[in-house]
Amino acid sequence: MSHVNVVSFAILAASFLVVTLIGFAGARWRPAEDPMQLNEWGLGGRGFGTFISWFLLGGDLYTAYTFIAVPALVYATGAAGFYALSYTIMVFPIVFVFGPRLWSVARARGYVTPGEFVRGRYGSQGLGLAVTLTGILATMPYIALQLVGIESVLAVMGVGTNSRNTFLANLPLVIAFAILAAYTYLAGLRAPALIAFVKDALIYVTVIVAIIYIPGRLGGWGHIFAAASAHLKTVNPATGKPYGSLVVLPAGEWAYATLALGSALALFIYPHAVTGVFAARQRDVIRRNAAMLPAYSLVLGLIALLGYMARATPAVNAGVAAGYGNAQLSVPLLFQHMFPSWFAGVGYSAIVIGALVPAAIMSIAAANLFTRNIYKELFRPQATPAQETRVARLASLFMKVGALGFALELNKTFSINLQLLGGIWILQTFPAVVISLYTRWFHRFALIIGWAVGMAYGTIEAYRTPGGGQQHFGASTAPVFGHTTYIAITAVLVNLVVAVGLTLIFRAVRLRDGYDATRPADYSADAAPAVAPVTRGTVSAAP
Amino acid sequence: MAQPATPVPRPIPRPFIRGIVTCVLLVAIGGALVVPIYARSLPKLGPFPFFYWYQLLWVPVVAVACWLCYILLRTKPAAQDGAGPGQAGPGQAGAQR
Repeated sequence: MSHVNVVSFAILAASFLVVTLIGFAGARWRPAEDPMQLNEWGLGGRGFGTFISWFLLGGDLYTAYTFIAVPALVYATGAAGFYALSYTIMVFPIVFVFGPRLWSVARARGYVTPGEFVRGRYGSQGLGLAVTLTGILATMPYIALQLVGIESVLAVMGVGTNSRNTFLANLPLVIAFAILAAYTYLAGLRAPALIAFVKDALIYVTVIVAIIYIPGRLGGWGHIFAAASAHLKTVNPATGKPYGSLVVLPAGEWAYATLALGSALALFIYPHAVTGVFAARQRDVIRRNAAMLPAYSLVLGLIALLGYMARATPAVNAGVAAGYGNAQLSVPLLFQHMFPSWFAGVGYSAIVIGALVPAAIMSIAAANLFTRNIYKELFRPQATPAQETRVARLASLFMKVGALGFALELNKTFSINLQLLGGIWILQTFPAVVISLYTRWFHRFALIIGWAVGMAYGTIEAYRTPGGGQQHFGASTAPVFGHTTYIAITAVLVNLVVAVGLTLIFRAVRLRDGYDATRPADYSADAAPAVAPVTRGTVSAAP
Repeated sequence: MAQPATPVPRPIPRPFIRGIVTCVLLVAIGGALVVPIYARSLPKLGPFPFFYWYQLLWVPVVAVACWLCYILLRTKPAAQDGAGPGQAGPGQAGAQR
């Protein structure tokens, strides 16, 4: 532990302590009549109104990916990294359309996971399982990405041991994660929902201060853009091309648009996003939040600009070069060099706590999936709600251990690609989860085969793509018919073509279709207005 | 008990309203999806190239568009009067915290 800034570290440790206390207090917040219901542990009692949902979803959707990987990409490649802003613009009109329908059918039928909806809609165990496994598979690297974010902060702070043993070298990270696992185990979704208030406050304060204070110290925005532009124009010796550009070039427009669209379509079918949506108290909460959450997208855009500020700071460039060209370090280094150490501590806390909230919700979401779609579906159909809750709690622990393994073993240089690989996979469930909200036309087996083809195609394409010094999984865009396209988009189109073609064939040969457990009215159902289950601190007289 | 409150059906908004909402949302998405609209550096807003200030400006535009659509689609639950016996809960119904 050499060269640790005591002030920054003390601030980070104090915020972590506060958040830990809040996490454990979450177990007593909005107490449930019967806490051993999966609805309670896994969805916070489905009682969050617009205000809490705004913090919860904001804390859930804007992750370490936002604070570390996006500015890192902007730092390294310039305008291309801004696709993340375009993506978080598009995502809200999209969820505005299908979010309320998904919420309604889940509320009407008591579904806790998207896998359950698909299972019920098509009467198909296999399709439900496909959606479930994809969800868990895509969530694992996403949790790992949160850890990578925490790691880069700790690395810049100089926290950690120099041991060669992977476990010991990452001891602070392991301890932080163990504590997170403990309060998530106890309080379920209530813990991250409460912590989200702290997270969001820290993020907004850090970003507003950074955006006002740092440009002044660097000689203004004009200088920042000039410095970034000068770097992006220089030729990268590894590729023989410029590093990037300040504005997306015509050749890059297609990749930019498909990355943004693919990510936007994928975001709200991720299990953790669905969990956040299902936790809402009423149907309109989703639409109101679609209109209010863009406040966070604005913050994301400003955070992306931190990448340019980092580029305009010579000390950051030197620090990144010393860290083997790890651009992930650029924002923590920027805080270190620009802010007094106490406020750098606040910034570090924002990133670390910003990573803990989504990590908790993701592990809860994956645990819900495992419990309802694997444990109950395959092993214990007669499981009681209490058994379900116990299994879900244990599963959330396993998810965290798995993600820790993922994070410690894999290449950290471009953690954004981990998330993009997850995006390729999760988008393959789009036909089953989202299109099924509108039509029951597809045949269940056609959807399963389409999904399998899309998954295989996407994974192989990603494997074949070199980049970033790697032979495989180097990038998530690949050329299709002369256009560099986000692999997820190509894969889901292949998936849809297969599903449509096979549905026509299966219908022609009259292959037996599954039973649809949902009713048309379910898709526009709302909670009865008078039954607001629990208000702050008091138990309402639920029937 | 695991099943939450009995859901109530909602009337579906008129086709005209749905048409307007569809158009507004398509424009909102299109403004970000059609990259050639904003893949340029001029006109600048101060030191900011168009590419940056346009996208940052489009965020609140989309937020307002979504809010407008929310207002347009808002309907009263159909079965509000007969929602259930003994569930008055004054002050709770619309209270958003």
